[in-house]
Amino acid sequence: MDTPKILLPYNFTSYDKKALDFVCRTFSDKKEAEITLFNAYIPAPIIEMRGSPIMKQMKDTLSYLSQRVKEQEDALHTIKAHLLGKGFSEDNIDIVFEPKNKDVAGDIIDLAQDGRFDIVVLNRKPGKIARFFAGSVSSKVVAALKNATVCIVS
Amino acid sequence: MVAEDRINMDIYKVVTRAIASSDNLEDMAIQLTQLLVGALGIKGSTIFVLNPATEELEALASFGLSISYMNKGPILIKKSLDHQLKGEAIVIRDVSKTDRLQYPEDAQKEGIRAIVSLPISLHGKLIGVLRLYHYEQWDVSEQDLDSLMIFTENIGLALMYTRLLQALKSVKETVNEVHPIWLD
Repeated sequence: MDTPKILLPYNFTSYDKKALDFVCRTFSDKKEAEITLFNAYIPAPIIEMRGSPIMKQMKDTLSYLSQRVKEQEDALHTIKAHLLGKGFSEDNIDIVFEPKNKDVAGDIIDLAQDGRFDIVVLNRKPGKIARFFAGSVSSKVVAALKNATVCIVS
Repeated sequence: MVAEDRINMDIYKVVTRAIASSDNLEDMAIQLTQLLVGALGIKGSTIFVLNPATEELEALASFGLSISYMNKGPILIKKSLDHQLKGEAIVIRDVSKTDRLQYPEDAQKEGIRAIVSLPISLHGKLIGVLRLYHYEQWDVSEQDLDSLMIFTENIGLALMYTRLLQALKSVKETVNEVHPIWLD
């Protein structure tokens, strides 16, 4: 593996920051590494009640939602700037910011397979109770990916 | 002054359907926070689940709050609007006049003026919290509080349903991995 191709899903938590630091630290001698930052946002719900008063109320929120989505995209560019500051090449850092298609794990798996990434860097907060209800993203990704290295930062 | 009812039948139906129609907990939770913010015209909303080991509230989904506010630090149930009286909502109509917040300065910096915190319980046990944040003082009507409490009861059921679904999927995957030769 000469030039590693790294997928870094990023969701702006302190553990995502740890994963980012891991990438900066581990690949500090491979500045030519290709890094893709990935974040999937959930679009506004579709409301099957046309003509209902709630639609007007929701319309205002939808514009607000677009604003929040833009803020999230801008925040990803801040992370890209952080990587550039660490010496990685601008041409080799991509941002994939798109609406969620399946679930978080499913979207990561699809992107990792379609993009033929060598390395996927995930993070995992130990003892997180939300995982008890929603399932483990890292477990699903590890189970599904072939021919890739999955690093889990905890 | 009589508080205005904000949750009408249309809103009730939309929110209830959003909870009932999704088999993905993350999607349901995020769309629910979006719907509540949109329908009630408030600043933000977060659904937390309670970690019984650490007594920390972990955000399952949130809408309308900044990334920095969400990362302000661990939220401990005993320091942040403690639901000692299980099953009862807590209404903070003005955050500048309460000592029940763990991060009062962060709340004010975020532009939060009022908070409504509703327990998510299952079989009488607190398993999470729904919080609604408003940018102005908020007098919540009794009827709206009743409706919100019904939403949180449904969220509790949805949490348990999706947990069971996860378990079933896990069992199915394990069974699928059994090699046919073992069954001959």
